[in-house]
Amino acid sequence: MASIRTYTWGVLFGLAALPGLAFANPEVIKLTQDPKNWAMQAGNMQNQRYSALKQINKDNVKNLRVAWTMSTGVLRGHEGGPLVIGDMLYVHSPFPNKVFAVSLSDQQIKWKYEPKQDPTVIPVMCCDTVNRGLAYADGKIFLQQADTNLVALDAKTGKEIWKIKNGDPKKGETNTNAPHVFKDKVITGISGGEFGVRGFVAAYDIKTGKLVWKGYSTGPDAEMLMDPDKTMTWTDGKMAPVGRDSSLKTWQGDQWKIGGGTTWGWYSYDPKLNLMYYGSGNPSTWNPAQRPGDNKWSMTIWARDVDTGQTKWVYQMTPHDEWDFDGVNEMILADGINVKGKPRNVLVHFDRNGFGYTLDRVTGQLLVAEKFDPKVNWASHVDMKTGRPQVVKQYSTQAQGQDVNSKGICPAALGSKDQQPAAYNPANKMFYVPTNHVCMDYEPFKVEYTAGQPYVGATLSMFPAPNSHGGMGNFIMWDAGTGKIVKSKPEKFSVWSGALVTAGGVACYGTLEGYVKCVDANDISKELYKFKTPSGIIGNLNTWEYKGKQYIGVLSGIGGWAGIGLAAGLEKDTDGLGAVGGYKELKNYTELGGVLTVFALP
Amino acid sequence: MKNTQSIAGIAFALAALAPGYAAAADDKPYKVAEGNRVDKITLEGWRTWRALACERCHGARQEGLVGPPLVESMKRLSKEEFKQTMLKGRPEKGMPNFDGSKMVTENLDGLYAYLKGRSDGAIQSGRLEELK
Repeated sequence: MASIRTYTWGVLFGLAALPGLAFANPEVIKLTQDPKNWAMQAGNMQNQRYSALKQINKDNVKNLRVAWTMSTGVLRGHEGGPLVIGDMLYVHSPFPNKVFAVSLSDQQIKWKYEPKQDPTVIPVMCCDTVNRGLAYADGKIFLQQADTNLVALDAKTGKEIWKIKNGDPKKGETNTNAPHVFKDKVITGISGGEFGVRGFVAAYDIKTGKLVWKGYSTGPDAEMLMDPDKTMTWTDGKMAPVGRDSSLKTWQGDQWKIGGGTTWGWYSYDPKLNLMYYGSGNPSTWNPAQRPGDNKWSMTIWARDVDTGQTKWVYQMTPHDEWDFDGVNEMILADGINVKGKPRNVLVHFDRNGFGYTLDRVTGQLLVAEKFDPKVNWASHVDMKTGRPQVVKQYSTQAQGQDVNSKGICPAALGSKDQQPAAYNPANKMFYVPTNHVCMDYEPFKVEYTAGQPYVGATLSMFPAPNSHGGMGNFIMWDAGTGKIVKSKPEKFSVWSGALVTAGGVACYGTLEGYVKCVDANDISKELYKFKTPSGIIGNLNTWEYKGKQYIGVLSGIGGWAGIGLAAGLEKDTDGLGAVGGYKELKNYTELGGVLTVFALP
Repeated sequence: MKNTQSIAGIAFALAALAPGYAAAADDKPYKVAEGNRVDKITLEGWRTWRALACERCHGARQEGLVGPPLVESMKRLSKEEFKQTMLKGRPEKGMPNFDGSKMVTENLDGLYAYLKGRSDGAIQSGRLEELK
């Protein structure tokens, strides 16, 4: 009885509130529904990186030509991509985080914004000073600066409308993520998992910048915006409430306060469910011996109510991480995916840990968890009843112990896939995934925490996956209903660029050498077009239409984790640690420099 | 094998460039045998280097990344300049101040010794053990 009454009241309340909610921000949804725009970083709220444009198709893509180019004037890694709204293009740069508003009619820079930021933020940024791009809503461009300032700019003039501080770089908090606008809120996260930062997502009012809610990844239920009785998780083959102190119980002492779970990925939103989805990152430190327990809710897929931040459900992919398999990668929302003969509305996620997950996005039920790189060896499989990966002892850095070099772990810390977002094609219901094919040796050691200083605690060495094609990447086509690789296209280096798929039947991505490549969306082994841009590509491809012509654009500018050796001018590393070792050959192919390249048919 | 060769190469080059260095072995702030066994103070210096993740900016072999190559800088910096840089940082260039780190303040001599040994080509990069 009680539950029926609550339900009824809920519905009534929902209806009463509906007009306000529905009209809170129809603008961005409308903009994304018109394929002439590219109004969000992923093209739409579902993170699909799909475009309905089809002027460029698999038959004529071979004729693509460069239409225009533009330098950002910044070296270092260029992630993310431009937004296109009507006749304007908005593009960003890495630190110092410049913003350019470019008129599509004559490529004139209408305004430019360059914030003054304290350079001491640079050494506090992990893995290069990247920025993953801008957001648009309500006549404003939102920029999430490295120093954690979140700024709303007038899209017409570039003037600051409001500016707020989202974190404290003195504690190691920085930002690299793109802000995301869902309804009337701009939602952002935090970076600094390697500095003992406690992860959170925060929602700010797009009109004023006022904080509406903030939900942490770890700690007391109230601070995570979790209801012990209503927040659900996959437990023994079904969904069950998380229970009281679900995070606190899985940490020793106060370690959760410096326990990571940062949130620098791409978020998605389901307007019907009013839920946003994102992943939390690695627990801190990288030395697992210093943090016994499952370290909840690091390494977790989250579903939160956009209005209140309340957590609807969670699923932890890698309990007690021992490899830095940061769980921040994007959540892609797709409808009618056939799972065991039944069409499901799902969330699909390609994790750093090498498993591709398919979950029911309404309930949070685990449907599929399979390896999307056959070389993944740290776990034999995911137990579908408990939802836990079955860790192989030989590759467990916890079991091998502190100050022991665990060798030959696949994937490496940068994952079978890092932040480079995948694309989804509703026409054939296939996913196009840019991946890494890299393994590592990992030696954890004890570290002490000092605010604002690195809190890493492991030495790594990375190399191409042994006994394979010798390269460090693959571009794959994935069936999320069965959890199977449909086709895999080998690449010399990691594919660190976000993919694009279009109704024209082409899928495009960039490579670290600097090539833009377009392949047949139904047979990705067929390379239809290739062009060498001025620098290695870690940006994401996108597309738009202006005055009847379809364009494809991409930021090149080598850097990021894969390219950090190059971004920093390393010349003679031999078997260097971390990402540098495996990628040292990149210097034979590319140099630094941020450039936007725009393509069209002649 | 490769490693040993390249280290030997560096050591040889250094010896050739600055014969005075090898002769003044007694003045060295570190003691080393076979390139990877060092005295206790130097060992703690290496542990400090590792714990503070200095390689993120200066490279795993101290050959420079976003930060300068310390194998070069250590040939120029006096011990006092080194200590001041560690404690006060060079904020304008992105070098943080480490005066808030107990591990750094307690192991400054060892860190100096370790990096000096790397710069001299006497100490190998990577894991070290105690010389007993």
